[in-house]
Amino acid sequence: MSAPGTMEPTEVIARARAGDAEAWGQLYHDYAPAIFRFCRRALPTREDAEDATMEVFMKLRGKLNQYDTTRSFTAWLYKVAANHCWDSLRRRRTRQDKETGDLENVPLEHPDPSQLERLIEQRTSEEVRKALEKLGARARMALVMRYYSDMSYDEIADALGVRRAFVGVVLLRARHELRQALEGGSALAAGGAS
Amino acid sequence: MSQTPEEKSKHLDEMTCLLYIERQLDRARGLEVSAHTQECVACRTLLRAMERESRLLTRAMLEEDEPLPSRLAQFQEKARRSMQWIWGLVFGLAATGVYAFYTQYILLWQTQLEQAGFGGSNLLGLLIFQGTMWKGWQSVITLLEVLAMLTLAGLGALVFRRRIRRGSALALVFAGLCTVVSMPPAASATEFRKGQSPTVNKDEIIKGDIYLSGERVKIEGRVEGDVFAAGKDIEINGQVTGDVISAGRYLQVRGTVDGNVRSAGNTAVISGSVGKNMMWFGDVVTVESTGKVGGSVTMFGDSLAIDGHVGRDILFFGTGINVNGAVEGGIREKGHTLIIGANAQVGGPIHFEGDKPAEVSSSAKLASPVEFKQMEHRKEYRDSSYYIWQVIWASAYILFGLVLFALMPNFSEEAVKATEQYGAAAGLGILVGCGLPIAALIACVTVVGLFIGISTLFLWYAALHFGQIVVAALIGQWLMGRTQEIWPLVGRMVVGFVLLRLCTMIPHVGWVFKYGAAFWGIGAISLVVYRRLQPVIAPGMPSGPYTPPLPPSTTMGGVQPA
Repeated sequence: MSAPGTMEPTEVIARARAGDAEAWGQLYHDYAPAIFRFCRRALPTREDAEDATMEVFMKLRGKLNQYDTTRSFTAWLYKVAANHCWDSLRRRRTRQDKETGDLENVPLEHPDPSQLERLIEQRTSEEVRKALEKLGARARMALVMRYYSDMSYDEIADALGVRRAFVGVVLLRARHELRQALEGGSALAAGGAS
Repeated sequence: MSQTPEEKSKHLDEMTCLLYIERQLDRARGLEVSAHTQECVACRTLLRAMERESRLLTRAMLEEDEPLPSRLAQFQEKARRSMQWIWGLVFGLAATGVYAFYTQYILLWQTQLEQAGFGGSNLLGLLIFQGTMWKGWQSVITLLEVLAMLTLAGLGALVFRRRIRRGSALALVFAGLCTVVSMPPAASATEFRKGQSPTVNKDEIIKGDIYLSGERVKIEGRVEGDVFAAGKDIEINGQVTGDVISAGRYLQVRGTVDGNVRSAGNTAVISGSVGKNMMWFGDVVTVESTGKVGGSVTMFGDSLAIDGHVGRDILFFGTGINVNGAVEGGIREKGHTLIIGANAQVGGPIHFEGDKPAEVSSSAKLASPVEFKQMEHRKEYRDSSYYIWQVIWASAYILFGLVLFALMPNFSEEAVKATEQYGAAAGLGILVGCGLPIAALIACVTVVGLFIGISTLFLWYAALHFGQIVVAALIGQWLMGRTQEIWPLVGRMVVGFVLLRLCTMIPHVGWVFKYGAAFWGIGAISLVVYRRLQPVIAPGMPSGPYTPPLPPSTTMGGVQPA
């Protein structure tokens, strides 16, 4: 899951495992911005994201010995961050009541493709980020895990505590929520302009 | 583009489209979808729209719209330095502890051993004190100090060899310790005198404080300041306008001390005058018939004899008091015996808790009769009041915790989190828990000052209790799950504390739980205090150069490879 051409920092990780503070600093320098952005997308406020980033790296100290060096460090790190953020969101029970119910009720209809295309064409990245902030915790977490950190369906299922078969449902419902949020923003803007 | 229900049923549903573009369909189903989209424009358009939606999502999330906050850049520095800091502190405290242990205990033991007849004839004495290297007490102290420092330096280098090359913090600690040890006397009014018999001569006037150390310390002249003395015998025959703070086997005040006498040692004899109070940690204090203490006498030790005059109260914890002089205040004693002789005059109430009633001469002049309370030696946990008091204490602790959690919610929460850094918290707890009172005691008897020393002792004492509360909150979290909200955390603290208190009530081993929790908690609090004291990077300071390990773009339509 590392960026193309980016080597896994095997030597730095080995040194960090041995307690080398310099190596820890290096790992933090290299990965903290990405983890901060992950947390920023997943959690409601910037302060939460800052706290979570620090906590993830503090956890990392204890967990680094559990890291399997044959696998991608970046993927493992995102998994730790995802688990931490989801734990944090669950503890707050943010909008959980709304979300815990009807995973089984999947909308199986065929939406109007041209309407969807129009919606996507008209939206900027910034608008999408703002719309993301309006989503429920599970929806946002699922989208971030999938489209920011490229986690597999198995990893998402594991982190969210749902069956793998429902990951698609969670993602689709999240997309629906996002579209509603984007449309709501647009209607609001139009209403304000007129 | 409105569609009839029949047309819709022919098309792919959105779920299938999503799973297709995310390569989650099995091969057979993927091929079916692929074939369908060749024919069906609407489904092909939907697939493209959803793929674009995926790309828009990925792009929106990966864009670097915010720089790394300065707080996190600061944390990076912490990550680099924290190990060095912790071990630097550990090392510094350990060195301080050893040094304090030597000066506070070993010296006193040596003098007591000498008194018991071992001085100069035991093996240690023969090897070190009577050997060819003997050049007086000062050289022995210096030799042992240097040996202690070298041993610690060697151990430190061995343990921290990996980090020592980058250990700027360690270097700082070393430098600081070396400076303190080797620093020459500052160019101030304070004087330092060492040697076999450091003396302030009869016609000499010292304007300022003076530090004296040696086998036989004598003040014959006048000191216009405080006297800090360490030695075997300390005699004050002249005048001291400030306080006398001493440690030694024998202290005799024949002259005048206008301030307080605070000392630790074996025997103190006051035949002169002490203007203010006297505090003594040691065996015997005698205020002779010519002696006078203007203030109160506080003693923790063996026996106290008052033949002279005490201006205020006596507070005593030890074996016994023998009063045959005048005490203008009251007497409060917890000991074994109280003897009030024929010449005694006591102006205040007398409370005595001991093994047998006080022996009071019929000729003694007392303001009120002696209030005697029989000392109880039975095991307290057999008494029902013990359990009532446990409940009262537990409630008081919980109230204390409630106040602290309400007043300092963030600090408390961070402290509870820090307890989960088991190794650092426990290790640091032992060191700070043991080192802080030693440092405070050193502060009390040195130039640092009594106020700082006593304040530190109070802080340490409060931290002992707060530490238990912090650990109780962690225990509560183990049982009831984690929380970041303050009131649920308080609830967990209450549950945890009740359990902890129950553990501390177990006979013989309860103290292990009590002090274990207290020290562990102190370690966690120390970690949080350190983090809070870290310097803050100026706002707006750009974060360091950074090339992030970007997650790749994700969605590509197609069939999942078989």
